[in-house]
Amino acid sequence: MSDTQARTSTATDGGAEALKTSKNLQTFRRLLTTDARIAQTPKEVVWTLNKAKLYRYIPVVPEPQRKKLPLFMVFAIMNRPHVLDLRPGHSFVEYMLKHGYDLYLLDWGAPGPEDSQLKFDDYVLDYLPRAIRKFKSVADCDEFSMLGWCLGALISTLYATLRPNDGLKNLLLLTAPLDFSNKTSSGFSLWTNAPTFNPDRVVDSFGNVPGELIDTGAKMLKPVENYLGTYLNLWENIDNPKVVESWHAMNTWVRDIIPMAGEAYRQLINEFFKENRLMNGTLVLRGERVDLGKLKANLLNVIAEADHITPPCQSEGVLDKVGSQDKQVFRVRGGHIGIMAGSGAEKTTWPHIEQWLGARSG
Amino acid sequence: MSQTNETFNPLDPTGMLKSMRDASLDAWSKTMIQFVNTEVYSQATGALLDAWLANSDPFRKLLEKTMTQALTSLNLPTRDDVTRLAERLTQVEMRLDDLDAKLDKLPRAARRGPAVSGSKAHTEEKS
Repeated sequence: MSDTQARTSTATDGGAEALKTSKNLQTFRRLLTTDARIAQTPKEVVWTLNKAKLYRYIPVVPEPQRKKLPLFMVFAIMNRPHVLDLRPGHSFVEYMLKHGYDLYLLDWGAPGPEDSQLKFDDYVLDYLPRAIRKFKSVADCDEFSMLGWCLGALISTLYATLRPNDGLKNLLLLTAPLDFSNKTSSGFSLWTNAPTFNPDRVVDSFGNVPGELIDTGAKMLKPVENYLGTYLNLWENIDNPKVVESWHAMNTWVRDIIPMAGEAYRQLINEFFKENRLMNGTLVLRGERVDLGKLKANLLNVIAEADHITPPCQSEGVLDKVGSQDKQVFRVRGGHIGIMAGSGAEKTTWPHIEQWLGARSG
Repeated sequence: MSQTNETFNPLDPTGMLKSMRDASLDAWSKTMIQFVNTEVYSQATGALLDAWLANSDPFRKLLEKTMTQALTSLNLPTRDDVTRLAERLTQVEMRLDDLDAKLDKLPRAARRGPAVSGSKAHTEEKS
């Protein structure tokens, strides 16, 4: 090769490399600033109250082949529930529909200033029973299964304990924060139990706790991963459409933050994190003491072994306290969100949940 | 990020740099996780947040008071007025939901109705 040819080849390579980098930068910027199409599974609204909405997913399996017990899903109150139906081809909702479940999802919505007085008492004894009443009417059933995730699992547990005769047959808890006896088990426990932390001032100042504050708290549990690692990971895989699509969908969900009702936050920190009232048997909602021994539904407790938001010790203890005869723990390798929305969920968590539920939905 | 370069080649400077970067990021990440899980960090962030809220509180209250006065003098609804209205709307929605619950019971009652009257008639016939 002559000198001229070599120089031309180097220049061409350099140009192509520059062009590729420029294209990758554009893709990177697009992924950071746009929203992916998430929560695409067809659904209809069957009930609303204030900001809360109850969705029914359109079944894909003919009625005679469907499971007898419908499934009611409850997500946390400070996040959108779209992570249950992240993207077509990788969605827990889609998976369960294909397995013949009649599926309902309660979306709490984003609280406004007028909702700052909402407490767990209201979610557990007002909103949830009303939504379940409508759900039972639409699904035309007396018995049902319920799945709760994160604070949704806490709300589901409280409901199942206080209303054991409402028809709840199976209760699935995913990464449920219930036992706060270990004050050093997670960053959240440590931070909220610090004597300098004043949740009352937070609520009195803001009304509703801003989503940004909750989001920052969650990200600071793993600061390097959340503020740097995730973007480095994206940049390194920017040529891989599968990784890019998955990252974009997850980032869209992560960025969609909502506030948390102020009084519910105050209650969560004071009565749960600090005083551990649920496990101590001293929690009272609207005059009713919450006695976990009254929970009779079949119980599957799904624990994420590498969960830094709800460490395993916050979920494990509940099994000894509940009155259920049929109770199981399922430990999954993964984090708080990864066990249900990660790439391995379809092969591990979802089939186990489906098999457990399927055996009890006949 | 925590993935290690499994095809490590000492003669490949880019791969070596990448491995070094990954290793240092891993170490940094572990150090930071340990740091945020210390009493010192917990107390410091709690104190910082509290100080910020305590110091900004008078300004926030002053702004709210001024805004309320301005809106009232212009005969416009204040934030509290809108909040109260929204709360009342939720109460109305709850009443509607109570009505909806009663309406939903009707078809079930109707389905049960003939069976009940049938069994009643049967009992009457027997007697």
